[in-house]
Amino acid sequence: MKISRLIVQLLLVVAVITSVVLSFFIWTNTARYQRGRNIDVTSADSNKNEIPMNQVISPTSVIWHDESEQHLIYNSNENISLSVQKIMQDWKISSPKEVSKKDGAYYQKIIQGKNMLQLVYPTSITTNVFGYLLNNDSLKDEKGNQFNRILINLKDKKDQNIYLANDSNYAVYKAKVKNASSIPLTKLVKRANVDLKIRLDIMKHGVFIFYTEPIKLKSYSYVISGKKDSEYTTALFDSNTNGLVTSADNDVYTYNYGESKRLTSDHNTEELTFDDYTDTSVPKTQLAFLQRGYQKVTNLQNSISNLRLYNANWKDKDLVFREYVEGFPIFKKSQFGSIRIKFSRKGSSEHFLNKVLEVPVPSNQAATKLKSTNEIFKGLQRVGFSPNDVQSVEVGYQWETETDNEKVVDLKPTYYIKIDGHWRPYNEWTNESAEED
Amino acid sequence: MDFKRIEVIFLIVFFSLDIFLFLSFRNSQQLVSSTNTNTSTITEMRKRNISFGSLDTKNGYAYYLGSQPDESLAQNVSKLRNQKVSYEDVNHSISSALSDPIEVKASNRKSVMDKFIKKESNVLFGKDYKYSPQLSSGSQIVYVATTRLGEVYDKTAQLIFSVSDGEVIGYTQTYVKSMIILHERQAIKSEKDVITSLYANSEIPNNSKISYANLAYTKLLEAKDSTIYIPVWFVTIKNKDSKVVTTKKVNAFTGNIIKSSTNGDSSYNAQ
Repeated sequence: MKISRLIVQLLLVVAVITSVVLSFFIWTNTARYQRGRNIDVTSADSNKNEIPMNQVISPTSVIWHDESEQHLIYNSNENISLSVQKIMQDWKISSPKEVSKKDGAYYQKIIQGKNMLQLVYPTSITTNVFGYLLNNDSLKDEKGNQFNRILINLKDKKDQNIYLANDSNYAVYKAKVKNASSIPLTKLVKRANVDLKIRLDIMKHGVFIFYTEPIKLKSYSYVISGKKDSEYTTALFDSNTNGLVTSADNDVYTYNYGESKRLTSDHNTEELTFDDYTDTSVPKTQLAFLQRGYQKVTNLQNSISNLRLYNANWKDKDLVFREYVEGFPIFKKSQFGSIRIKFSRKGSSEHFLNKVLEVPVPSNQAATKLKSTNEIFKGLQRVGFSPNDVQSVEVGYQWETETDNEKVVDLKPTYYIKIDGHWRPYNEWTNESAEED
Repeated sequence: MDFKRIEVIFLIVFFSLDIFLFLSFRNSQQLVSSTNTNTSTITEMRKRNISFGSLDTKNGYAYYLGSQPDESLAQNVSKLRNQKVSYEDVNHSISSALSDPIEVKASNRKSVMDKFIKKESNVLFGKDYKYSPQLSSGSQIVYVATTRLGEVYDKTAQLIFSVSDGEVIGYTQTYVKSMIILHERQAIKSEKDVITSLYANSEIPNNSKISYANLAYTKLLEAKDSTIYIPVWFVTIKNKDSKVVTTKKVNAFTGNIIKSSTNGDSSYNAQ
């Protein structure tokens, strides 16, 4: 009688403890469980183009400072920045600690450090996003801190850190690294086949790359592709396109899906705008912001291997993507780059060009020799723009459609200058060629 | 109040709660591992009597390659001996009829022809070609161009011997002098990815054998007087019942299956 009661009590205690333990496991496991599900969904989605998020959001410039000077390097057979990221995925990076902030002199010293390999993002991202892109758990929970440069010392064996630097507030963070070796990185640097002498200088509007000597850059040609409006409507509206209302006005076609979605396609400029008034949730974290942008981009275009995140404006929830060739951005004849995505409470909008680089073809154009950046600043000064007026200077590729072959586009390098919020090629600001005579 | 009864009721309640918790916990674990669907496709294929060797899961890298029209064959045609040669300008190809046909058997044709092409007076640039059993048939012995970046399976870079009544009577040849890399390397689909996707798209019938799966460059399009090549997986499937052999082509960059158009050229839409 008593023993049976004891057994019941004992079993009860065991059952209660088991339930507590199991609940604990399920609770701590939820994050993993949900992430697993997310990965499932994205891998199914990205199957069709398979370009991972850390290729679209990736550093575009690689700078190597040897014993004496800085070089912008590139390897036309292998993207150095993607390869470095791949190597970093095996590193154990602990959470970054602030070293300094708002100290311009120190910042200049850091970004001009010797034996430093530097990867530069076109726009700043948070360490949290960085951890996600590298699939690094220890970085994942770190929040808030933004940066756009990753610096790695390849010679100093005692310096077991990577540095993260932010151009906009001169903040420098230090993160301890384990399980890392500089040997594969040094090899990547040595394999570079494009090497341009540069100097990083702090100007009024941020850090500028100064090409200290005239630079010789190749021209490229690509076969471009586009999609029909109907292909966009099937992808962007739900598959049910019965309720579609179409109107046309001078080659501007508008497709309405009820009151909730609208696609406007201008057949003259090949610019399209898609408004989704049902997409009213605004991303709450920077990671969600970029993830949703990436999802939208993969949904829009089939071929995004050249596409990079160019600018992320967290305050206005505005993302700009541009296509890149050999580490340089392509400026098309539009003010917004290739794709612009904006989230708001009224709905999201996507602005994009129906011209995508598809297949590279050998270019029959000779290499272009561009002036040094100093000469460019002198030229701008001659027409009345002081260096402080210049918000940004970038060497980029200009998009020139061949008159006899609409399907092939030629890309020619030139200097692009941003003044008063507008990007224009150097010759349009100054009526002078950016090419060296 | 019967305290013991309450205890028993509690025991039952907690016990069922434990079972429920355990099941949901196991469920979540399964969801995490469900990404590994490829393995199950492989076992399913084996069940349906599709035979194949071990599949490579490694994702490699490949390039967009370009070549410019080349007159090397025309310039060296005079070096050839003991054959009647004609050169065709449009395709930049040589057609040759051998003065002394070579006797070959199914068993020795590779070694005989390997020896034959080594001599410059027999075949121009013979060392740049390699025998391809996948593309060869009873009436044709196909040699494909090899470059430092990989093999080229394409009409624009091939050496095809015609066989008639056990004798090699002549050949046609096209040649690509050099390939240039047009774009930085890009990740490509692995052999396993390609075969599982072919199966998922009902391109592999039950009771068949995958006899070859090779990665090679093939012509995508011509633009600005150049030929552009992309990496493509050539998968040869032999139906065990009908003995019919088909070769499927899969774009290694995108994983899309390339449907051949009527003239045999892969269409540009394959992208």
